[in-house]
Amino acid sequence: MSTVDVRGRVSDVTGQELVGAFLLLGIVVLVFDLIRQVVVGELSAGLLRSYLWSGIVDSLYIGLAAIGLSMTYSILRFANFSHGDLITTGAFSGWTVAYVIGGAGVAEFSSRILLRADGGAPPGALEMDVLANPLAIVLGLIASAVVTIAVALAIDRLIYRRLRDEGGIPLLIASVGVALALRYLIALFYTTDSRGVVGSAPEWEDPPLLPVEAIDLHEATLVFSAVALMLGVHLLLQYTKLGKSMRAMSDNKDLALITGIPTERVIFATWVIGAGLAGVAGYLIVLDRGTIMINLGWFLLLLIFAAVILGGIGSIYGALAGSLVIGITINLSLVWIPADMNEIAAFALMILVLIFRPDGLFSGVETA
Amino acid sequence: MALLEVSSLDAGYGDLQILEDVDLAVDAGEYVTIVGPNGAGKSTVMKSIFGLTTYMGGSVDFDDQEISGYRPEDIITTGIGYVPQNDNVFPSLSVMENLEMGAYILDEVPEDRLERIFDRFPILEERKSQKAGTMSGGQQQMLAMGRALMLDPDLLMLDEPSAGLAPDLVDDMFDRIDEINDDGTAVLLVEQNAKEALRRCDRGYVLVQGQNRYVDSGDALLADEQVRQDFLGG
Repeated sequence: MSTVDVRGRVSDVTGQELVGAFLLLGIVVLVFDLIRQVVVGELSAGLLRSYLWSGIVDSLYIGLAAIGLSMTYSILRFANFSHGDLITTGAFSGWTVAYVIGGAGVAEFSSRILLRADGGAPPGALEMDVLANPLAIVLGLIASAVVTIAVALAIDRLIYRRLRDEGGIPLLIASVGVALALRYLIALFYTTDSRGVVGSAPEWEDPPLLPVEAIDLHEATLVFSAVALMLGVHLLLQYTKLGKSMRAMSDNKDLALITGIPTERVIFATWVIGAGLAGVAGYLIVLDRGTIMINLGWFLLLLIFAAVILGGIGSIYGALAGSLVIGITINLSLVWIPADMNEIAAFALMILVLIFRPDGLFSGVETA
Repeated sequence: MALLEVSSLDAGYGDLQILEDVDLAVDAGEYVTIVGPNGAGKSTVMKSIFGLTTYMGGSVDFDDQEISGYRPEDIITTGIGYVPQNDNVFPSLSVMENLEMGAYILDEVPEDRLERIFDRFPILEERKSQKAGTMSGGQQQMLAMGRALMLDPDLLMLDEPSAGLAPDLVDDMFDRIDEINDDGTAVLLVEQNAKEALRRCDRGYVLVQGQNRYVDSGDALLADEQVRQDFLGG
């Protein structure tokens, strides 16, 4: 018997844990290297600060989207692969509204409603920035939420509701189909070309009380909107009857049913919040980056999943913390690897967490 | 007519029939126990009354109203409270939030009932803001009962409330159920701890393989030689 035990133990160690230990060692080495680089001056404090700040900004839009993904997971009980394309839906619908309202008289309507699919007047000519066109930008933001919510509710009614009692796998597979359908439906109108739609960001020079020379106002809009929305979701979940019933249903759907909680209404609210935040995230990403493309949400989806898994799937506070870890990781990794490969760092981290803390980095912590 | 009247009920899950021709009645204020071997369908009776199984025939009437085929969210409004055996609290919600969920269908949390529940289970008031999932099994069981009492039901259905409790807590649990019944709430109890349950109740049903086998007062069932031998371990 004892030989079997020993062999069992050895094969455990030579398996996953060895890979994990290797990755863990790598991270420790990198942390020491980071300290060394800062101490000897190879990496300036300013650059380090800008990496960290970009990490926080990235984590905010990842986090906005991760809340919805985590909620659909815990309340509707499936991994929604179409969540990324809800982000794309928000980006295109929101900016279309911003263009229709904001660019009147400068560019053709046909060009504006398809977001420069014809390569029409550049965003600079339309003065597409928050200072020159605040009304259009704000209305676009609202539209991104409203349209995405409507699309998500329609998809739920047409597809997911019919599969509600079939379990997580059929829903997951259906959501992959929905993702593709949604993306190429958008491409049908807007083409697959990546293009600039936002004017260069106005800056606020020498802001008081802050240790920076200038604030990028588009980035500031993203940060402000994201933090406000996250705070709103937190208050809703903790202090309203709807929020409590959402947490109750994510705890135990059967018990929610026999307690008299109207489960379909909770599911409705889940889509409204989750899809609304995803749509806004898509809109704000474009505001910050300046360009829009059809794969915007799809490319982000894996990072969002990584954040949700890192935080312990199903907990929105875990998802937000996971987003922060992912955001910082992909930006800090730029110290060593080129920007087009930095997602490797995020996924290496995810593998590590799945090996050692399969329930998520914060699984032991009270979150809900 | 009885408060709850189940007649010739056939029910199960999907294609699988568990209950066959089950009759059961609970009068207003009465304390009724269902006992029987494992797999007899005791819990299924409760689930069927609450609309959680596949209805296959017969009828369930509550308060002179036919409720067979109703959905759980409608049944809860008729005055039946149900405490399932497992997972009967929301673990990540606080004690207070669990009780609030019990009153979900009301416009606001009824303060007087909350007071009464806190009087009955003082531990719940002490631990109002504690997460339900971090409480002991016995405390969770009290919270689950408290949650079901928030709607002041005419009938409280309890599925194995003593399961998993430490032996010295079992008696306490039975005392609480007596108190709830003494205040006028009819109780339908499913219990593994058959002797104690029969001793406490007004009437008992012995259910075997999804069918009624014996019905009588609790004391008579306890005295019955056949019942003792077959179901109460001698």
